[in-house]
Formats: sequence, structure tokens, C-alpha cells
Amino acid sequence: MTLVLKQLYQRFNQVRGRRIFIVPTRFGFVYALFLILILLGAINYSNSLGHVLCFLLGSLGLVAMLHTYRNLAQIELKHAHAQSVFNGQEINFNLVFDNPTPRYGYQIEVSSKQDKIRSWNPFKMFKGYEHPQLIKRLEPQQTTQLNYLLPTQRRGEYTLGQLRIASVFPLGLYSTWTYFKNNYTALVYPKPEGILPLPRTTQYGQDLTSKPQKGLDDFSGFNRYRTGDPIHAIAWKSLAKDNVLRTKQFTSPQGGHLMINWQDVAHIKSLEARLSQLCQWILQAESTNMVYGLTLPNTVINFGHGDMHRHRCLAALARYE
Amino acid sequence: MNSASPSNNSLLWLMLGLTLGALPHFSFQPLWVSIIFLAMIGWRCMNSWRAWPLPTKRFSKLKFLQLSIAAIATLLLLSSYGNLIGRDAGVALLTVMLALKVTEIRSHRDYYLSCFLGYFLVVTNFFYSQSIATAALMFIVVTIMTGCLISLNVPEQSLNSRSKFKLASQMLLQAIPLMILLFIFFPRIAGPLWGLPNDAYSAKTGIDDSMTLGKISQLIASDEVAFRVKFTDDMPEQSALYWRGPILWHTDGRTWTELEDTLQTSQAPTLTHSGPEYHYTTTLEAHNNKWLFALDFPTTTPTVIKSHFTQDGQLRSDETIKQRQQYELTSTPQFTFNSDDEPYLRQALQLPDNQHIRTKQLAQQWLKQTQDPLQLVQIALNHFNQRDFYYTLTPPQLVGDSIDSFLFESQRGFCEHYAASFTILMRAAGVPTRIVTGYQGGEINPVDQFFVIRQRDAHAWTEVWIKDRGWLRIDPTAAVSKDRIEQGMSTVMPLSMRSPLFISNSQNLAELWQKIRNNLDAIDNKWNQWILAYGPKLQKEFLSKLGMPSPNWQTMAIWLIASISFTLLTISAILFYHRQQSAPIIKLYKKFCKQAAQRGFKRENHEGPLDFGQRLKQHYPQQSNEIDQITQLYINLHYGKQSASIEELRHFIKHFRLQKL
Repeated sequence: MTLVLKQLYQRFNQVRGRRIFIVPTRFGFVYALFLILILLGAINYSNSLGHVLCFLLGSLGLVAMLHTYRNLAQIELKHAHAQSVFNGQEINFNLVFDNPTPRYGYQIEVSSKQDKIRSWNPFKMFKGYEHPQLIKRLEPQQTTQLNYLLPTQRRGEYTLGQLRIASVFPLGLYSTWTYFKNNYTALVYPKPEGILPLPRTTQYGQDLTSKPQKGLDDFSGFNRYRTGDPIHAIAWKSLAKDNVLRTKQFTSPQGGHLMINWQDVAHIKSLEARLSQLCQWILQAESTNMVYGLTLPNTVINFGHGDMHRHRCLAALARYE
Repeated sequence: MNSASPSNNSLLWLMLGLTLGALPHFSFQPLWVSIIFLAMIGWRCMNSWRAWPLPTKRFSKLKFLQLSIAAIATLLLLSSYGNLIGRDAGVALLTVMLALKVTEIRSHRDYYLSCFLGYFLVVTNFFYSQSIATAALMFIVVTIMTGCLISLNVPEQSLNSRSKFKLASQMLLQAIPLMILLFIFFPRIAGPLWGLPNDAYSAKTGIDDSMTLGKISQLIASDEVAFRVKFTDDMPEQSALYWRGPILWHTDGRTWTELEDTLQTSQAPTLTHSGPEYHYTTTLEAHNNKWLFALDFPTTTPTVIKSHFTQDGQLRSDETIKQRQQYELTSTPQFTFNSDDEPYLRQALQLPDNQHIRTKQLAQQWLKQTQDPLQLVQIALNHFNQRDFYYTLTPPQLVGDSIDSFLFESQRGFCEHYAASFTILMRAAGVPTRIVTGYQGGEINPVDQFFVIRQRDAHAWTEVWIKDRGWLRIDPTAAVSKDRIEQGMSTVMPLSMRSPLFISNSQNLAELWQKIRNNLDAIDNKWNQWILAYGPKLQKEFLSKLGMPSPNWQTMAIWLIASISFTLLTISAILFYHRQQSAPIIKLYKKFCKQAAQRGFKRENHEGPLDFGQRLKQHYPQQSNEIDQITQLYINLHYGKQSASIEELRHFIKHFRLQKL
């Protein structure tokens, strides 16, 4: 029985679309008050045009309700994604809204609520939406992007949270809003700070630092083509210039190998300060072209280099518990 | 979102709207109120244009200036009106305070409040004038105000001013059907809810309860409608159209007044009616007095207005006529009035002492010829008719004893001169006489067949009382100017008084003007009869006609809610509807797909037209030719590879039938 009801409810919701709330703003209530005043005046003076004005403004209020509702109706959140940032920076959620209607949407305020408030008071569910940002205009039958900035205060996973879009357009007499439930998240790395210098590099086997080694990562110049050189390394542009076949030369990092170790920061008391120090070292190691790895009490990340590797290390720090 | 201050653009529009809304008040408000209003609006505009400082805490001197203007204005209002709750004082106060508010708009809240006050300013205009022109101007003001509200909620970059006002007018137009429903069905309550201030209704031009020579001729300049009459079937001839107003008895030599209240009793006069009856409906404009004008002589008092006949035979409402009133009456032009006994004979013979000496002497001379009152009347009329008397709308100024001076020197006068001097002559000769004021004649408007009586048709005539015959109407003006009585006022009026000066020289243009005016007047009349008169009474009548069995507020509420909901649904359907914008080519192809789907071959989302065609052909090898053609035509048309005719595709789709398997 409940299943049937639930199914019915879901189908009904599908037909109706997203649930859109609408209530008068405080200016809407003041407007209503003025209408009552005008009506009283019109009745008292038996003034026909006074009645007409009151009815016209009252009808305008009803029509405004439809217009306010229409401003939000059918708008959907298509997707959102964000780059990871360091603690203290703002997460930039790139929100993409779709407006399938042939009309513009105006002055739409976007805000979000990170944590769920559980309360006996059902009105609390409307509360707690923060960080409002404005979309001035949604183009018709198109998607519109908003860089939604969310401040950070801690490391770890940040959820976009329940998203709310709201609008009082056109007359400001009604406020309408709707919610988008979503699972979009962004990762916040620890803040890179610390006064400790980078630990000494660990050498493995032969001395690799003296001579540049051919590698694949960094461009270092051109050489004449020799058979056996990889085709993807051929410098086609310069071939077009002077008809000489050359290959691009790349070198691998020569900064040495470094294992960044939990033990090196064990003497720092605060966990966050430790992670911050590790974070800073990883950034330094990356920027000086080192090959580095990370050892945490519960994870070990092997030697590596590059953005992907850096992200793996920083993510491990961000998620460390 | 609401913290930002309103943009310059939206402020300037608000200034325009408020100024237009206050404009009609300028004509009767004290000049200083208008000056303060315009100065404050100007100040705000200069702030927007030239960044002039506003009265804020930062500019304490300006703040002080603003507050002192407010204080001085309040004191001035109190001293000139005596209070602040009357209509005029209230409107002046609203104007001044709104202007001062405007100089300190900083937040959205202030702006909203000013807009709403602007809407209120609109309604105050209707307390003074409910003409079509006022309504049109105020509709513009409401549109601007609505545009202002929009401009507050949307910056100029997203929506320019023109689009904002387009949206405002669209919203108002969508509101109009709802407004009409509310106007018709919203249960009306008869006002007033509380005591109206004394100045609720302004002074009106029109017949007065006293008459001084020269007073009625001032009315002649007024084109204003006094009342309109619609005769049910026949109407009496023009010369019988005497619309009785106040009856004047007492004179101090210059001014004629009504019977004193102490002399009036509640007894009605004795009347006998004979001859044809005329039925008609009168729509009387508000005149702030109690009399109801009626064709001589009504058989009964009207049913819809509480009224009575005074003892001297005047139809009087119990309440002051402050609004347009409509009543039905039946009159008989042939009647006798107090034929046996007249209680006010003494008043009908009253003469001021030591005045009108020459007039009295003339009457004494006539008395020597005859004692018969009717013959005396005839002598007097002959005197006017045969001597050098002229009827003129612009009589010369009378010096000294006005009656003597008129009768023996200027001999040029207007109805009131003839009526007054005739009465003095008759009373001096011992014939009981009184003056009746009111209107005579009128004009039929060929557009809507309403008979229109204007202020310029104001008239004064006399009645003499003769034993056994009662009060007889004698119109001394008729003895001088027959045309005035038989053809109406417009024939004796020069063209220049009937039409604006610029076209006064041409008869054709004057006629054209008359035609235009008739049409405008007919529209005005409809407006009055239907829009302005629509109150509790007319609402009941109208709703009964619509088929509502017993219009009480419950049934009205049900009708109202039902019709409003229906209209709102229609409006939202229009607002939310948007066609799936598929080109006719796609529509045709969809038809084809639909047919296939009915046979069980639904085109999948991922399936291109070629693939779909292939699949169909496998099942319908006999029709593969047609399927190919349609598919190819569609691809050519839709993707534009080759020129193809849509008509061809239409033809194919129309004749295409998938066979049964």
C-alpha cells in the first residue's frame, strides 16, 4: 500500500517538476497593506476609480506571482565541478545551469547549505543557506555558468551542499526559490606552511645529478633526426620552415630523489601543522623538479613527479585522519 | 541583495512618476505646497545628475534644512486648513511628506515605500476627478511606478529601460482581465465607513439657494453637465421643459432667497395632474445641495432616493447630493398647484421698504387700468415685449437700485433680470408672485439619445397665484426672447460661446466641434453610468441581469473566485506555454515515424534517419522505394545537402501508408 502511494507520489512529482516555493516578501506584505488602505479609502468615498485602482494593483500582484514563479521554473543544475584548492583559498565551483525556456531568467541568487540542520522545527529546513552569489541573467535555451566561490576553513572533502536558487524578480513582492540536491564535492589540501627546510635528497645507486639525462618531461632543444627517433617527437613546425627534419629533445628532472617522511615532522605537535609542513615540502619538491615520494603512517606513495603525482600526494594529506 | 542603494536611473524614473501623479493637485493646492514638492524632486534629480549632496548625517546642515522644511510645512498646513485629516489637508500633507521622503531614499526599503506612496497618490487624484482623462493619466503613472519596481530588482545592464516598461505594461495588461472580474464581482460595500471630512466634496458650480442679479449669467459660461435625462418614450416639446429647482420668495432688494426654514411645514402641496404623462430617468450630477431637479410637475417622489416635496412644491432629497444620483420620475406638464388655498400669500407679496420706487409707481399706474391679476400679468408682459427690452447674455453692470435701473435705463438683461423685475411689478400691483429657479430646455445628444442639461441652461422664471387656478407659470423671458424658450439656449448663444475661440468664425467647424463634443459626451455618459456609478445597487442589478439568482456576497465570492481562478489559469497557460520549436520539416518526418511506431517500429533515440529507414525496409520490402524517397527528401531538406521541395515531402508523407504485415 505505502509502496503504491510512494510510486504515485513520485510520478506526480515527475509530472510537476521541481518543487518551487513562493512566498510574499516583506515588501509584498506592505504592498497588500497599501491595497487595503486604498480599498478603504475607495469604499469610504464611494469612489469607483479608487476601486478600479485597488483591483488593478491587486491583479498586478497576482500576475507578479506568476512572473516571479516563471523566472525560476524549469531551470536545472546541469553539473558542477571544482579544482582542488589549499585550505584558506576559495573553492571555485563551476556551476552550469540550463534554461530550456525561450525566456531570460533574471537576478537569480545562488546559495548553498553545507550541513544539514536537524530540528523539530520544519521551518529550519529553509534556513542556513549561505554565500549568496548572483546570476544576473540566464540566457534562453542555453546553459549559463556561474563560478560559485566557497570559502574553506579546513582540509578534506568539501561538498557543494544543497544548492538553492532564489529570485524576487520582477517586482520584489514575492520571493521564490528551489533546491538542487547534489553530490558534488571538492578536495581541500592542507595549507602549505612551515618553517622547516626541505630534507636532504636521498641518492639511489649512481650519481644522477651531474649529467642531463634524456627523458620525456621537459623540452630542452632540437636535434637532427636520426632513424629510430620517435615520430611524435618530430618538430613539424620547424620542418615547414627550412625543410630540415629535427626532433625535439626532452630531459627528465634532475633534482634528485626525495622521500618525504612523516617521521621528519613527527616533532611538530599539531597534526594540522605537520600536514601543512608536508604539503609545503611537496610543493617545493615539485617546483624544483625532484622525484619524490610520501610516507605517511597509513600510506606510502612511491617516487614520482608531475601534476598527477602531486595531486595524489596532496590528496593523501588532505584525507589524512 | 537589498543592501545596495537604488540606481540613479530608477530614481529618476520614480521622480517622473511621482511628479506626474502630483501634477493634477497643483491646480488647487496652495502654491507653496507645489513649490516644495518640485524643489525636493529637483534636489533629488540634481543628486543623480550632478551629485549634489543629500540631507544625510554627513551633511548635518542639509539635514537640518530638510527637517525645518518639514516642520514649517506642517505648521503652514495646520494654519491654512485648521487640521490635517480633511481631504485637502491630507492630500497636501501627503504631497509634502512624499517630497521630503524622496530626498532621503537610500535603501531599497525607502524606495519601495516611495513607490507605494506613489500608488496612494494616484488614488487621491480620484477623490477630485474621475474623468476619463484623469484615469488615463493615472494609468500612465501606475505603469511608470511598476516600471520603477522592476528597475529596482534588475540592473540596467540586464534589462534596459525600454524593456522594463514593456514588461510593466505587459504585466498590467495581463492584470486587466482580473481587474475587470474583481470590479464586477467583488462585493461592494456602501460607503462611508466613517465620517467623511467636511471638505470631502468640493464646491460645485450650479444653481444656488439664492439669486442676485448677474449670478445666473455667470453660469452661462459653464459647459458643465447639470444632469442628463433619458425619456422612456415620448418627450414634451422644448418650450415645456421647465426643470424646477429652488423657489425664491424673499427679497431684500438685491438678493432673493428661499422660504425660511421656520416657515416650512411637512405638509405637501395639493396638486392635481392631467394631460399626458412622461416617464424619464434623471442622472443628476453632484451639486452639494439637496434639491432634485424634476420636470414640472412630478407625480410622485422618486423611489430610490429618500425625498419629499416641500410645501412650496420643491422636490428635495433628505441627504445632500454629494454624488451622481439616478432616479426615475413621471411628470405631467399640465397640473394645478394649491388652487384653493395658498399658505404663503404674505411671503408672495413681500416687498423691500423704500426701494424700487419707480417700479412701484409703474405698477400703481397699471393698477388704475385694471384690478384683474391676469390682465395685469398681460400688461407687464406686453411692457417687456413692446418696449425697448433686449435679451442679452452679457448685461451691462447695474448701478444704484438694480430693478429700477434695469427697467428704466439699461433695459438689457437676462432671465433673472426679467424674472426679478416682473415679480417686483406684480407684487407692487398686489398679485402674489414667486421666482422659480432651475433649468429650461437642454439638448438631445444624437449619439446616445440622452437629453443633456448643462449649467448654461440655467433659468429663472416666475409663478403667480390666482384664486381657483393656483400657481401659474409666467416666463417673462419668453416675452422678450421666444427663441430662448422654444429652441433652447444654444440658439441664442453666439458661436464664440459655444466652441473654443480658434474655430468660432466658421459655421462648419463649429458644427464639427459640436459633433465631436456629442460623441465625447456620449462616451463620458457611458463612463458615468457604468464605471463611476457601479456601486452596491448597480452591482446587484447587473449581476441579476447576468443570471445570478440572488446576488449576495456569498454567491459573488464564489463567482469571483471561480472566474479569477479560471483567468489566472489562462494567463499562466499563456505565460508558460512555449512551443517545441520544431521546423515543419521535422514535424512531417515525425508524422512518418509515428506511423511506423503504430505498426510497432519505434525510432530509437540513437537511430539516424538512414538506419531507421534500413530497418523499416527489412520489414516492408514492397515499400522500400517510398521509404527511401521520404528518408532521402528529409535528409536533403533538413541537412541542406541538395535543394528539395518541402511540398514534395508533404505529398509523400500524406500518401504514405504502411501496409499491414
